[in-house]
Amino acid sequence: MIVPGERVRCHPSVIVEKSLSVVVLIALLVTRLEATAVAGVLAAAIVALLLFNYRQWKLTTIRFGETEIVVERDTLFKAKKTLPYAKIASVNVNRGIVNRLFGTSKLQININSGSSATVPEAALTFGEDMADELRSAILGALHDGEVLPDEDEATESLVSFSPADVIVHGLFSVPTYQTIFGSVFLAYSVFELYTSAGAGIGGDSRALVSLLMFFVVQFGPAVSLIFRYYNYRVYRRGETIFLQHGLLRTYKTSFEVSRINAVRVKSTLAARLLHRSWIEAEVVGLASGTGESLRPVLCLLKDDATQQRLLRELAPEFVYDRSPERQPAGAWSVLLIRAAIASFALVLAMVWSSLYVYHAATALAGIAGAVLPWVLPLATILGVLAIFYATHVSCRITEFDTSKDLFTFVNGAVDRETVVMSYDRVQMVRVERGPVAGFFGVARARVYLLSSTGGTSISSGYFFENRLGAIGETVMERIASGEYDWRRNSV
Amino acid sequence: MFLSGSRDGVSTIDGGEGGYRRLNRKCLLSIYFGHAISYAFLLGAFVLVETYAQGFLGPGYDLVRYAFIAVLAIVLAYMIVSPPVFYARYRYQITEDRIDVRSGVLVLRHNLVPIERVHQVEVSRGPVNSMLGLADVTITTAGGVATLSYLDIEEAERVADMLDGLVGRMLKERVPATGPAGD
Repeated sequence: MIVPGERVRCHPSVIVEKSLSVVVLIALLVTRLEATAVAGVLAAAIVALLLFNYRQWKLTTIRFGETEIVVERDTLFKAKKTLPYAKIASVNVNRGIVNRLFGTSKLQININSGSSATVPEAALTFGEDMADELRSAILGALHDGEVLPDEDEATESLVSFSPADVIVHGLFSVPTYQTIFGSVFLAYSVFELYTSAGAGIGGDSRALVSLLMFFVVQFGPAVSLIFRYYNYRVYRRGETIFLQHGLLRTYKTSFEVSRINAVRVKSTLAARLLHRSWIEAEVVGLASGTGESLRPVLCLLKDDATQQRLLRELAPEFVYDRSPERQPAGAWSVLLIRAAIASFALVLAMVWSSLYVYHAATALAGIAGAVLPWVLPLATILGVLAIFYATHVSCRITEFDTSKDLFTFVNGAVDRETVVMSYDRVQMVRVERGPVAGFFGVARARVYLLSSTGGTSISSGYFFENRLGAIGETVMERIASGEYDWRRNSV
Repeated sequence: MFLSGSRDGVSTIDGGEGGYRRLNRKCLLSIYFGHAISYAFLLGAFVLVETYAQGFLGPGYDLVRYAFIAVLAIVLAYMIVSPPVFYARYRYQITEDRIDVRSGVLVLRHNLVPIERVHQVEVSRGPVNSMLGLADVTITTAGGVATLSYLDIEEAERVADMLDGLVGRMLKERVPATGPAGD
């Protein structure tokens, strides 16, 4: 139990946590170098690092005051950070492997800031119980003393997500281009293994590199998502949304619905074939500082009906009866001209290499001599067909619509995204038209919002300029009429 | 300098065509100077390619060289033609509730920034702009940045002061009214 105003330190395990990766790296080097002088220096470096981190821990104190949290470091480079409770956007707890070993949790405090949206303002390690207690106390202070529900209570998720759902999410929410590259690498490594089984030397190493690329590009991200969202639960209590998930590192995240700037319903090509989609929210001040996705996921990959039901229950503020409008005929002309230019550039880029390969490969004997000369021309034709097919799909699916409080952009020929935004969260609007779009009387809009990763912009398709200009005018009208409530929306 | 719509000591800047203001013609000099520096770097790269690339590009050297010359010609034409177009198209307007900027050479852009969203205003000028008496005003919101480029220094300072005034007044209006007794 922490007494208000009392100075406390983080759990001493933070010394190990901060030193571990460097110590492991140096230790590996030391074992390689055996009993040389360099090894001695490196071993001394480990000791120096541990002493440095010990001193940092010893001289860093945290004070939980009545109105603010003060983190003070009294080392050579002194620092004092004051975090007023009134400015805190979220307080989250997550536990990595080191935390589990020492029975600790990392308390991550974020304030409303676009400039430091990707890193928490303070990441403090405490005993597990103390971290949970502090989080409840700070959240209580944020909610004017209101007692928040105990998250360890068996609260039922609004939708249940089985381990199979988590695996499907991990496998099919990886962007399509990554999946394609990953599959190509996998296929190539299998091919190399198969051919090298007879021929011997050289094939194995190529297969290994290709397999490694498959792991980096596709398998790794998919497994990382499975670990991150294992045991996923989501529920809403009052105005707060709670998320809990994680296998090795566990996450407890909560944020007020009023902090959501936009909602993204996403689906990759593979997910759409399964009639599934997932939901992400743009919430500022949820940085976990681990380099993983900062956008909270409100629903894992689920069938479209379940996803829509969950969105209605979880964030009805971002649901409305849509009457989408498609791009006008002028947009089709612009997109077709763009596709023609892209195809021309592709053909131009491939002509020289195609001729080179053609001349080099025709001399080869057997199947290689018959097939290889045509590989690049065929790839070029497929590339051109893909460009025109993507253009056709993009023309068909791009949408835009508006309601009283919200508006929506639908984009993406391959990986599709429906972004529902609140007028009151729009920071800036830019409408732009190039010479071709201007000729056909259409333009595109770029809407600037505060996002989970700082400032971001979301682009529309091609629509009439006055329709897109209405976004900015609606923002202005809401401010002028008082419909915009700065108490709820100001950042 | 055309100021209008003064309210509570805070003026708004509009006027000219449809309430929009244009830039000082001196901006052309500044843009041409900036383009000349960029073009000098590009020429430097071309000289490097001419001198050293033949060895490792082999038969592809001529193709790369002609492509580079074509790029140099296109960029030069753009750098000569674009500043007058930029000047002719650049318009801005600042009213009590918004900053409205229309600009662009090939792609026309219309930026709309509600004053309510302004977080920070910065006036900056490099050595060339300082010589010409010009400055840029950078307006930062939580989601992005808009810039008013090549304003006269006095006008840039006035725009910044006015935006500070508008934002300050808005924030003051939001402070809950408290009486002398603090009630």
